[in-house]
Amino acid sequence: MRVAVTGTPGTGKTTATELLESRLADKDADSEPALEVIHLNEVLEEEGLYTEVDADRESKVADLEALADWLEGRDDAVIESHLAHHFDVDRVAVLRCRPTDLEERLLERGEREAKARENAESEALDVLLAEAVETHGLESVYEIDTTDRDPEAVADALGAVVAGEREPTAGDVDFVGYLE
Amino acid sequence: MSQDDDKWGIAHVHASFNNTIMTVTDLTGAETIAKSSGGTAVKQNRDEASPYAAMQMADSIAEEVKAAGITGLHVRVRGPGGNLQKSPGPGAQATIRALARAGIEIGRIEDVTPIPHDGSRAPKGKGGY
Ligand SMILES: Nc1ncnc2c1ncn2[C@@H]1O[C@H](COP(=O)(O)OP(=O)(O)O)[C@@H](O)[C@H]1O
Ligand SMILES: [Mg+2]
Repeated sequence: MRVAVTGTPGTGKTTATELLESRLADKDADSEPALEVIHLNEVLEEEGLYTEVDADRESKVADLEALADWLEGRDDAVIESHLAHHFDVDRVAVLRCRPTDLEERLLERGEREAKARENAESEALDVLLAEAVETHGLESVYEIDTTDRDPEAVADALGAVVAGEREPTAGDVDFVGYLE
Repeated sequence: MSQDDDKWGIAHVHASFNNTIMTVTDLTGAETIAKSSGGTAVKQNRDEASPYAAMQMADSIAEEVKAAGITGLHVRVRGPGGNLQKSPGPGAQATIRALARAGIEIGRIEDVTPIPHDGSRAPKGKGGY
């Protein structure tokens, strides 16, 4: 089974999936972990799987086909990236965060103001949630609001999605107020 | 009426997954002429017929806009509700059509949807923009 963990940069994907990863490793200490956690941004960097650089955004434009090829055969995986919903997956977890909090998290992480702002606007407009639903359907999308949840609680929620212990949800948050 | 007699403004449409809000400004963007406030925004129950809600918002905005002497609007769309074919929200399309039906001339339509990005981003045309 493949699970995508997507969400606007700053929603806490890397933090939560690292926790999930160590839990999976503990659980399967004596054998191979049932699910491998793939941090797709690392793959993109290490394998050079991008076509150009968006200079304005200081951001590498992903080569989605090359990434899909790289993922070929890695069928039992949690794929972590704001691009993860562009691939063939069984379930999509979409992490969400109130845009003002997201902006703060990104600025604290040391991102530039323009980057924090454009990501907060993307979050306010549900850009990635809409893409996930468009591509995979309401029946495969699991929205997780991280706003007032610590990383451990987010990892719990991800664990429930992976284990099939949750019903799909989408559109429970409404962040457009940020834009007014 | 000649082009010169027309007064133009800009409709900023924010179309999210299940909500659409709109602000109309003058051409500089500095002066707000009409606004769909949080309370009257098209908060969608996705089971309801969405174009109806978009129409209600567009109708009331159109009245305010016409009262201010504006006859035409350029449209700046932000958000996946603006382009995704199957997007469940009322979306920008329904809102623009409703403005036109209410007697507003529609000028340039521009998509300025933000792009989520960290060290990487999706190529243009992939996803909602
Ligand atoms: N659940 C959370 N609550 C508060 N802050 C968080 C949470 N998860 C992550 N953060 C912080 O927010 C920033 C972005 O987290 P990160 O995991 O890098 O997000 P992403 O991988 O989605 O871009 C980091 O500085 C991190 O410490
Ligand atoms: Mg990350």
